[in-house]
Amino acid sequence: MEAYRDQYAKLFNNGKDVTVIAISVDPDTALASWAHDEGFPMLFVSDSGGAIGRKYGIFSEKAGLDTRVVFVIAPDGKVTYRAMPFRELVGSAYTELGEAVARASGGN
Amino acid sequence: MEISNRSMRGAMLGGALAVLTSVGAIAGTAPSLAAQTDSSAAVQVGQSAPDFEAPGATRYGLLRDPVSLSDFSGKTVVIAFFYKARTKG
Repeated sequence: MEAYRDQYAKLFNNGKDVTVIAISVDPDTALASWAHDEGFPMLFVSDSGGAIGRKYGIFSEKAGLDTRVVFVIAPDGKVTYRAMPFRELVGSAYTELGEAVARASGGN
Repeated sequence: MEISNRSMRGAMLGGALAVLTSVGAIAGTAPSLAAQTDSSAAVQVGQSAPDFEAPGATRYGLLRDPVSLSDFSGKTVVIAFFYKARTKG
């Protein structure tokens, strides 16, 4: 999530007309305290129990965790990009994500 | 009674070890877990994103109202699933 914060302006237009929702099975209190400590600009959602991860088909029953997958959803509610797995340590993964966001938001 | 207490302790110790082992397994294999999730079973490009409603938080604290994906209809949304708070990435 550090890279999301550091590239928030470039990749996500500083949150203008783009909402980044970071989701894990952590309790909301753990997400809030981490976001506070790190100054994360994103919105966090607690998926304790994994219901959201199951809906998206990315929950690992074995590990009891949401796996690292990123979806871009266009204003019409359709998925326009999916990175599965999202390679969080590879720089080009962020470039590709930024391009997908720009395309979904109207192609600029 | 003595015996059952001892076996109870044994069971609890066994349980604790199992938890430790599985935590170690998660930490050790986390990068491959995503690869193990079947991509054909996941939501695909072109499909409608499933709605959800769950507790939300920001750096300013807990949100009073739950967050729904439908709150953001008409906007681009990036959903980034990740393993655990306070881990890298």
